[in-house]
Amino acid sequence: MSLKKQFYTVYIFAKLSTRRFFRDRLALFFGILFPLIFLFVFGGIFGKSGNNVNFHVAVINNSSSSFAKQFEQQLTSSKIFKVDPKITNLTEANDKMGKNQLDATIVLPASFGTVKAGQTYPSGVAQVDYTQNNAESGQTLTTVLQAEFKDINAKFTKVEEPFNAQGIQLNKKSLTQFDYTFAGLLGFSIIGLGIFGPVNVFPELKKQGILRRLHTTPLKVWQYFVSTMISQAIIGLISISIMFAVAMSVFHLKVVGNYPEIALYLIFSIIAILGIGLALGGWAKNERQAAPLSNIIVFPMLFLSGTFFPRFLMPEWLQKVSTFLPLTPVIDGIRLMATEGKSLFQIGPQIGLLFGWTIIIYAIAFTIFKWE
Amino acid sequence: MAKPILSVTNLTKRYGDRTVVDGISFEVETGEVFGILGPNGAGKTTTLEMIEAMRPIDDGSAILDGIDVSKDPTAVKRIIGVQPQSPAFQDKTKLTELIELFAAAYGQHVKPMEYLNDVQLGDKASSYVENLSGGQKQRLSIAAALVHRPKVFFMDEPTTGLDPGARRNLWELVEEIKSRGVTVLITTHYMEEAERLCDRVAIMDNGKIIALDTPRQLVKDLLKKGFTKKQHVEQADLEDVFIDLTGKGLHS
Repeated sequence: MSLKKQFYTVYIFAKLSTRRFFRDRLALFFGILFPLIFLFVFGGIFGKSGNNVNFHVAVINNSSSSFAKQFEQQLTSSKIFKVDPKITNLTEANDKMGKNQLDATIVLPASFGTVKAGQTYPSGVAQVDYTQNNAESGQTLTTVLQAEFKDINAKFTKVEEPFNAQGIQLNKKSLTQFDYTFAGLLGFSIIGLGIFGPVNVFPELKKQGILRRLHTTPLKVWQYFVSTMISQAIIGLISISIMFAVAMSVFHLKVVGNYPEIALYLIFSIIAILGIGLALGGWAKNERQAAPLSNIIVFPMLFLSGTFFPRFLMPEWLQKVSTFLPLTPVIDGIRLMATEGKSLFQIGPQIGLLFGWTIIIYAIAFTIFKWE
Repeated sequence: MAKPILSVTNLTKRYGDRTVVDGISFEVETGEVFGILGPNGAGKTTTLEMIEAMRPIDDGSAILDGIDVSKDPTAVKRIIGVQPQSPAFQDKTKLTELIELFAAAYGQHVKPMEYLNDVQLGDKASSYVENLSGGQKQRLSIAAALVHRPKVFFMDEPTTGLDPGARRNLWELVEEIKSRGVTVLITTHYMEEAERLCDRVAIMDNGKIIALDTPRQLVKDLLKKGFTKKQHVEQADLEDVFIDLTGKGLHS
C-alpha cells in the first residue's frame, strides 16, 4: 500500500474515534467534566488566598472604654483579620480553636483602653490566645498586633525611635498557589485521558473481539497508535482549552506565555503520556490485569509529580527523584510556559526528558501490544 | 476441475501436548462454497484462523491464491474477508461509518450505502451499531468483510444464535456472495445449513478430517452401507411452521 493510502487509514480511524468520544456521555464526563470538577474544588481552596494573609480570629472585648470599642471596630474592618462575629465569650472561642476553625482569640481585658492615674493617654495589653499547633500563626498575629500598637503609641507619645523597619511591596507578582495547582490539574487531566482512557477501553475491545476483527485486516499497529494519538490530542486540547477558559475567567489565572507554543507542548505531553496508556491497555488481556498495574504506575506519579501539591513542598531527596518521572516535565513545562512566560527554547530540560520518556514508552508499547 | 484457490497440506496446530489440528490436507476450488463441519472443539475455528494468518502454523502449509500464508500474512489479509463467530463493533458508530472504517483499513475509499443496501441495511444507515438485532449485526459484519472485494470469504459459524428467519436470510446472502464469484469457506455444526449451502464439505473430528465430498455423495455413501432411517420423515417440520407463521426474514 502506498504511504498516502496508509495515512488515509490513519485519518479515517482518528476521525471516527474522535466522533465516538463526543457521542459518548460517559467518556465526555470523565474526559472533560471530571477535570473541571477538580478545577473548581482546588480553585475554591487555593484560588482566593492571593497575597493577603487572613487570620481567622475571635475578638472578646471585656472593656467598656471608647478606645477598646474603636480598636475592636478597626480589627473587624481590617483586611488582615477575619473576625468571627458569632463568638462572644472565651468558652465558645476555645471550642472553635480546639477544632482548628480559628487561628487565635484576641482578648481585650476590662482595663483595656482606660486612662491610668497620672497618665494622659489610654493604655492596656491585648492578650492573644492560641493553641499549640497554631503557634506559628499565633506568634505572627502577636507581631502584627504589636506593629499596629506601635503606630498608635507613636500618636500618643511622639517619641522618635532610633531604629525601625519598613516593608515595601515590590511592583512584581510572584506565583500564587493556584498557578501551581492549575498546572498540576492539567497534568491530572492528561493522565485521565491518556492512561485511564485506554486502560479501560482496550481490555473491553479485546473481550468483545473488536481488536481481533481489526487484526484480520491489513491494519498495522502503528496506524492504530497514530490514529489514537491524533484523536486524543484533539480531545485533550479541547478539554484543556475549557480548563484554561474557566481558570482565567473564574479563578483569575494570568497566562503570560505564548498560546501556540503552549498548545504545541500540550500536544507533545498528551502523546507522551498516552503512550503509557497504550502500553498498559495494549498489553493487558483483561481488566483484572490492567487495573492494578495502571494504579501502581499512576498514583505515585499523581502525588510525586506535583499534581495536587507543588513539588517544592517535598523533602529534597524526594524532589530529586520525582524530577525524573514522566509527568514532572509535563507539569513543570506547562507552568513555566503558561504562568512564567518561558518559551519552548527555555524549557529544554523538560522537553529533553519528556522526549526520552516518549521513546522508551512507545518502544515498550509497540513490543507488548496484543490484538486479543 | 477448476484451479484450487486454496491448498492446505498437512496443517497442524498444537497447544502444549494437545494437537488441536492434526495434519489435515484439502483443496478449495475457486468460486465454491466449502464447508467445514464438526462438533464443538473439533478444530474447525483453529483451522480457519491458521489460514486467515491469525494464528501461527505449527506444521504444514496453507497456500492461498499462490501466497504462502506463513510467509506473507499481510498479502493474505488483503485478499480475504473474515466474518467472526460473534461480530461486535464499537458503540456510537453509525453503520455508514463502520463501512467507511473497514474500507479505510484496506486503504480504500468506498460509498457505504451500496454495501449497506447489498445486505438490506440501507434504511438503518444512520443508526448506531448497538441498536441492531443479532441478525442485522451478522449482515453488517458481512458487508464490512466484503468492503474490499475479497477473493476468499471466511465465515465462522455465522448462524449460531440466530432465529430461523434470520438464518434463512443469511443463507440467501451467502448464495448471493457465491454468485459474485467469491470463494466461501464456512464452518458450521448445523447439517441442514451445510446441505443447503456447501458444494463440498469436510467433516472434522478430533483435529482430523474424517470425510470430504459433496453432501449428496456423502449421503449416498452412507446409504450404500445399508443405512436406513428408523422413522418416516414428515413433509414439513416445526421449523417450517415457524417460518410460515412469522414470515421469512421479517424478524431477522
